[in-house]
Amino acid sequence: MKRYVATRLALGLVTLFCVTVLVFVATNMLPGDAATEILGRGATPETLARFREQLGLDDPLVLRYGNWIWGLLHGDLGQSLTTQASINEAIWPRLWNTLRLAGLTALVSVPLAIGLGVLSAAREGSFLDRALAMGALTAISFPEFFTAYLLILVFSVKLNLLPNLSTIFPEMSFLEALRAMVLPVMALSCLVTAHMMRMTRTSILSVMSQPYIEMAFLKGVPRAAVITRHALPNAAAPIIAVVAMNLAYLVVGIVVIEVVFVYPGLGQYMVDAVGKRDIPVVQACGVFFALAFIGLNLISDVLAVLVNPRLRRPGGGR
Amino acid sequence: MTDAKTHTPGAHLSRRSFLGTAAVTATVTAGGLWLPRAAHADTPKKGGTLRLGMEGGASTDSFNPMTLSDEVPITLCYAVMNGLIEFDAEGLPQPELFESWEVEPGAAKWVFNIRQGITFSNGKTLTADDVIYSINLHRGESVSQLKGNLEPITEITKLSDSQIAITLSEGNADFVALLGDYHLLVVPEGHSDWNNPIGTGAYLLESFEPGVRAVFTLRGDYWKPGRGNFDRVEVRYISDAVARTSALQSGQIDGANRLDPRTVDFLAQAPNLNVVRSEGTGLRYVFCARVSDDPYTNQNAVLALKYGIDRQKIIDNVLNGYATIGNDHTINPNSPFFNAELPQRPYDPDKAAWHLKEAGLSGSEFRLTVSEGAWVTMPDCAQIFQQSLDPAGIRLELNKVPADGYWSNVWRVDPFCGVIWGSRMTADENLTVCYSSTSPMNDSNWKNETFDKLLAEARVELDQGKRKEIYATCQQMASDEAGHVLFAINDTLDGYGKNVMGVNKHPRFGFDDLRVAEKAWFA
Amino acid sequence: MLLFGTRIPLSALFGATVMVLFILLAIFGPWITPYAPDATVGKTWTGPSTEFWLGTDNIGRDILSRIIAGAQTTIGIALVTTVLSFTLGVSAGIFASVGGPVLDNLLSRVVDMFLSVPVLIMALIVLTALGSSIPTLILTIALLDSTRVFLVARAVAVDIAARDFIDVARLRGEKMPWIMFHEILPNAMPPLISEFGLRFCFNFLYVASLSFLGLGVQPPQADWGGMVRENGQAIAFGILAPIWPALAIALVTVAVNLVVDWLLSRNVKPSGASAEL
Repeated sequence: MKRYVATRLALGLVTLFCVTVLVFVATNMLPGDAATEILGRGATPETLARFREQLGLDDPLVLRYGNWIWGLLHGDLGQSLTTQASINEAIWPRLWNTLRLAGLTALVSVPLAIGLGVLSAAREGSFLDRALAMGALTAISFPEFFTAYLLILVFSVKLNLLPNLSTIFPEMSFLEALRAMVLPVMALSCLVTAHMMRMTRTSILSVMSQPYIEMAFLKGVPRAAVITRHALPNAAAPIIAVVAMNLAYLVVGIVVIEVVFVYPGLGQYMVDAVGKRDIPVVQACGVFFALAFIGLNLISDVLAVLVNPRLRRPGGGR
Repeated sequence: MTDAKTHTPGAHLSRRSFLGTAAVTATVTAGGLWLPRAAHADTPKKGGTLRLGMEGGASTDSFNPMTLSDEVPITLCYAVMNGLIEFDAEGLPQPELFESWEVEPGAAKWVFNIRQGITFSNGKTLTADDVIYSINLHRGESVSQLKGNLEPITEITKLSDSQIAITLSEGNADFVALLGDYHLLVVPEGHSDWNNPIGTGAYLLESFEPGVRAVFTLRGDYWKPGRGNFDRVEVRYISDAVARTSALQSGQIDGANRLDPRTVDFLAQAPNLNVVRSEGTGLRYVFCARVSDDPYTNQNAVLALKYGIDRQKIIDNVLNGYATIGNDHTINPNSPFFNAELPQRPYDPDKAAWHLKEAGLSGSEFRLTVSEGAWVTMPDCAQIFQQSLDPAGIRLELNKVPADGYWSNVWRVDPFCGVIWGSRMTADENLTVCYSSTSPMNDSNWKNETFDKLLAEARVELDQGKRKEIYATCQQMASDEAGHVLFAINDTLDGYGKNVMGVNKHPRFGFDDLRVAEKAWFA
Repeated sequence: MLLFGTRIPLSALFGATVMVLFILLAIFGPWITPYAPDATVGKTWTGPSTEFWLGTDNIGRDILSRIIAGAQTTIGIALVTTVLSFTLGVSAGIFASVGGPVLDNLLSRVVDMFLSVPVLIMALIVLTALGSSIPTLILTIALLDSTRVFLVARAVAVDIAARDFIDVARLRGEKMPWIMFHEILPNAMPPLISEFGLRFCFNFLYVASLSFLGLGVQPPQADWGGMVRENGQAIAFGILAPIWPALAIALVTVAVNLVVDWLLSRNVKPSGASAEL
């Protein structure tokens, strides 16, 4: 197991390196550069040339990438091309915001989804099962901004219960901060719960007809215990994969929610930077996004091996 | 001190005509007494925290005056810095850090007196050196967006600590208005740390997270009487229109800019809100055909498009009536030089079909590139344009492209695409930037020697009546020959809580020329 | 209810009926819209009336007509992309589970890499390189989506590949493709069918968000996700315009998944496994 994790970590670093190269090349391939995007419509060839020189955009790509990765290895994410400020300082509050929102949503939605999924499976075909399915499916059919607008309409504008601006500032108390995050957490939970819940239900049902489950029933173990003790561990692999995928989405894919609830996370930071071709910032965000994906994937694979003993035997777990 | 009459718009109009007739050195003193217009209507109260929610900024913003291009950073800059010239509610240039000025006939040699006794937030006293440094930020080896506009300046000389002289390569009667550009902000000599702004404005920057929020505190004793009334000002970036209006409705902010015309009626009905609407001052919405590219080289093809657009339907259905109809040129409808005689081009599918036939293009298809990158409702406007061309037998294919990089990838690259043009404070700047042969921003590539000559003539023509005549011809030419299908000018719509006082319409920008932080007060 | 001797639960029947209805709509839609779907026929954002049953949209077009006309594009694209992404993702996922550690790592890391590059950058690159068209849109979504399908398929398949009957098959000397498609795939089916039901729904919205970026469906063509987006902000003022296309998406999603649930309940008995153990 240790060796497996070590190999995966090493491969993860290689993947991370490849991602940074890919993001760097891709962003540079996009038409326009920081000079054209910052100077905008008033730019002349002359001012563009001068600005490019000031920003160091004339240096060869390899050199610019080299400088960047050299800085990264020393813990320096570089300087933003647009604000000239240190990215290290600018990115931490946003990273912290992103992780806080993702974490809180995960705390709410993962237990909820798995609980409801187990419940659905236990009562397969019942009214409850159908109602849960319909509710969850309707929730994910609405685009994220739409769910968000509905929540704003009801809770902020009509009832005036919760703020629709969710930014957390240092001067806010813990309770105020928590209150500010209620709406985005609700909106995100609506989006991710359905997927995890459906997968939990299906995976459990798919192992229910396995011989060892039938055996357990024959031994007279109650249905609830059969599901939680026997079926769930064996059904875990796809559930874990889907949970990991949704957690990753919570870290990297929530730009729209950030914009609608005015919650300054990494997503919006990166979108702005892509728009202005602020490549060091895009790169910095890219690194954190890649870390989230690679890390969560690694954890999910390790967990899958841990919960399913069969995978641990030689050749199985790899 | 001179009499306060010079502050009235009439006095300034007469200044213009005075310039026209004066054969000797004309002295224009705008006065050292600074009297804001709102002052006699209501007495401002001090105190409180003003919270603004704004669109028009990004996490890439800074306080660098050279790269200012959107409303949030301009607002932030105006909170801590001052310009040389300020525009009043009529759009006329008024003294700000330039206290008064003199001009020699020909309008090429100007002398400006700098307001005295003003200190920067770092304690330094404002002198001529600071002003020269601040202007020079946009000249010579600069990357400033204003560089082109200041190109005619050949020399700036310091006459004394309180006086500078500016020489232009050719006369420009509107030069003072040019100095009112929002890029021209005054900083102390040598200052270049654009994350820590230093200025002579009403407020001090307390904290700034680009793309999130800027917080300002009152500096105390602002030199403009009746202004700088809040203890604290918070500007929050709220780019989503729904988030902005919801926050305003539920009292989380006191002011929101760029309200959506389609939903503004709902806000206007709310008892706790005020909507300020400035008509004819907003963005000019244009479908721009490049007349140097086929088939638009044929004037009839462009005219077919100009007659084939149902302007009123777009204004009604997309802009909910909150716009002024456009007449295919960029001059402000409330400018004294606006050509009101020029008949409004109607929606006439038959005429459009006729022009298309004249062009020998019957049955061919045009392709318009649209994007939310220019303005959010452009695809909607384009779809109604497409429908309205149908009865004329003109087929228009829409090609939607990303907002990303629109101004560098599409504008001036694609032969037929959407463009917005902001309000320019003078007719000369307006026509020069949009239509003169040498302008790098002349996006329809319409080049006409007669037009250029007329423009140069008007620039030094000091007789108002003659000037108006020349500009009228220019507007006619642009409207008929240039590639701008300019169908509407939107209204600027701002929303405020009922307790926010002292906010007015402004002909340049919304949020009372983006100076709401220093102008407003709480009831 | 009994049909061809099989008992079909009411929910599945409802799902199937809705699916058939929408498929008919997708085929015959263009002929039955009350108004021309692209024509501005009324004021902007009027409520439901006898004239316009579901009201009008952001530029005064009849919403009902646009929903009917949009069925073809919307359902068509979502279906094709989902089928493509599943074919690709499932094959690769199962291949990774039986192809040995090197292949597994290679495929998995490539997928990690793909997933780690932000969608915005991906979409913009595709646009720059290939331009905007519906086939490009379909291929882009299918490719991006297949990486997620891969993750689930691989997780399921690795689990199955470790079971005894696969070893038995290997010892029997079965070839790799046979193991992949006759042993693993049937056993992996339940979670994959369930995933299909959801991915199908996600792709409705994916189409809309990429079209918003300028990749794909071009105006004035209607697609449901795009309709929700164009009218979205109206909901904050209590205007119902965006609700209808959103409900259309929800209805199709629910219908498809009700049928999926029924298929699962009939199909949960693994085919190969119990036979061989």
